[in-house]
Amino acid sequence: MPTLINLSHISKLYGSGNTEVKALWDVSLTIDQGDYCSIMGPSGSGKSTAMNVIGCLDRPTEGHYFFDGQDVAQLDDDTLAAIRNRKIGFVFQQFHLLPQLSALDNVALPMVYGGVAAAERRERAAAALQRVGLGNRLMNKPSQLSGGQQQRVAIARAIVNRPLLLLADEPTGALDTTTTEEVMAIFAELNQGGITVVMVTHEPAVARLTERVVWFRDGEVIHAHMSPSDVSYGALVE
Amino acid sequence: MDFRESLTMAVKTLTASKLRSSLTMLGIIIGNASVISMVGLGEGGRRYINEQLQSLGPNILFIVPGNRETRRLGGLELARNLVLADAEAIAEQVPSVIDVAAENTTPGLISFFNRNANASVIGTNPAFITVRNFTMDQGRFISDLDLQRTSAVAVLGNSLAERLFEDQVALGQSLRINNIAFEVVGVLELQGSNLGVNYDDAVIIPITTQASRIVGRTSPYGIEVSFISATARNADSMQTAEFQITNLLRLRHGIVDPDEDDFFIQNQDTLLSIADTITSALTLMLAAIASISLLVGGIGIMNIMLVSVRERTQEIGLRKAVGASRNDILIQFLIEAIILSAAGGAIGTLLGISGIGLLSLLTPFEASASVSVIVIAVGISGSIGLFFGVIPARQAAKLDPIVALRSI
Repeated sequence: MPTLINLSHISKLYGSGNTEVKALWDVSLTIDQGDYCSIMGPSGSGKSTAMNVIGCLDRPTEGHYFFDGQDVAQLDDDTLAAIRNRKIGFVFQQFHLLPQLSALDNVALPMVYGGVAAAERRERAAAALQRVGLGNRLMNKPSQLSGGQQQRVAIARAIVNRPLLLLADEPTGALDTTTTEEVMAIFAELNQGGITVVMVTHEPAVARLTERVVWFRDGEVIHAHMSPSDVSYGALVE
Repeated sequence: MDFRESLTMAVKTLTASKLRSSLTMLGIIIGNASVISMVGLGEGGRRYINEQLQSLGPNILFIVPGNRETRRLGGLELARNLVLADAEAIAEQVPSVIDVAAENTTPGLISFFNRNANASVIGTNPAFITVRNFTMDQGRFISDLDLQRTSAVAVLGNSLAERLFEDQVALGQSLRINNIAFEVVGVLELQGSNLGVNYDDAVIIPITTQASRIVGRTSPYGIEVSFISATARNADSMQTAEFQITNLLRLRHGIVDPDEDDFFIQNQDTLLSIADTITSALTLMLAAIASISLLVGGIGIMNIMLVSVRERTQEIGLRKAVGASRNDILIQFLIEAIILSAAGGAIGTLLGISGIGLLSLLTPFEASASVSVIVIAVGISGSIGLFFGVIPARQAAKLDPIVALRSI
């Protein structure tokens, strides 16, 4: 499989002089298309920063980031926004659905910014909701849905623009065990369908459902190709 | 993202919080309603005054004592008054003039048996009725003979006659003006108020009678008059008449330097332009005061939008994460501000128009909302949204998606 994500000597520094913080330090990492990968590490290890860089939400201070063959490290805000729109889907711990919009409109939102015509938007949003098992909840507002349903709406929103990469930040952090399993099943299914899935998590049980674990500590990659079954070993290393 | 999308999105957001949206609009609504009704009122006042002036007719000239200088000083400096002889000289010697009326008004107590009325006593000459284009209801107007004989005859304004005589016939009755007996020889038709003088509530007597029996004093130059009005032969001879009257009066008053003129000639046009200056200034002032509320309304919009950006930080972060550009966010917030102010402007306009309707009922002015004012007011309130929406919208557009998403 070709490489989708290629971080080459990426550093992210905050502040300067004595107060300088190395959020990421000389990180090199590749993730191939079709990978199903989780990023783990203790808090402050730089996994969230890495996730922001990978998701084109943030620019590294140094280094090159090739995403889908393009060096995106120093592109401007609007170009990054366009890349996020077309190639990356986000799922957040707090769902981040817009409360005033129906499930359908929430899912259609990325397509609004992608310039998709209204009729096609409705059709594709409905299809995406169907795919996550919410075909009968199109017009419900987020407040009328359970946590698991809300997260499934968020997943539908993430995949509606047919992205190359699905990036999830603690997607199960706000869910109970049953709904966590449901959501993880959806991720696995999407990955089967060819989407690269990268998620940040601190739950070994969740990480074990993925195929590869990247372990961060103090802004550096400790293990780039850890087997999910060794996650408890990683925890021991800490 | 195209404009229509942004519009539907903004409408969805605004209708999601109806109370807040309507309260935000309230400032603009009140501002716009007051601008439109105040300007309408000013325009109505202007039209009212213009109609009154135009009813004088295009050929009339007013010769008023005082010069430009003293008029500007509010008449503090005493100027030589005009006298009846001036009016007579104009009538005899100025060929471009048809009729000349001299008028002198004093307050008086009019009584008929046990009924009393305070009214203006206007001393004038027979030409008055033709110059002012008045008509008689009953009887006759004062005549040259009355003037020569200083007869005690009176012509009553219509309302005054009604007040004093009620259903009795006024003609031939004897009434008292400041306790001097006068015979009623005529009653004028209803004229309506005229430049602030209500001829319907006045009594008209020969100016000579007034001078000798009521005022009891005259200037060394003759019988003093408040002003002289004259009609020119036609509209074309207005300038000629003005020139000839000026020359004649300078000659009579011994004036060499035009700056020393002790009289002033006004015609319908100059009166119109004076009135226009005053009413325009008044309208402008009303509009300026009302505009302040429009401004305050705009600041209210900015205030709410700033709060809204704070509250919706996460929404903005999410929108950016899924691909909204800076411009998308900027435009979204601008459109929200513009919709609030434009909708407020539209509602305010409707309110302003109904306010004008109400003012027309309560005042003699036929106030009306001109289309241009409405267009300008709605335009201005829309631009206020644009202007006051920029700062909050820029704040929203500048937000960093990571920071925005993390804030709770």
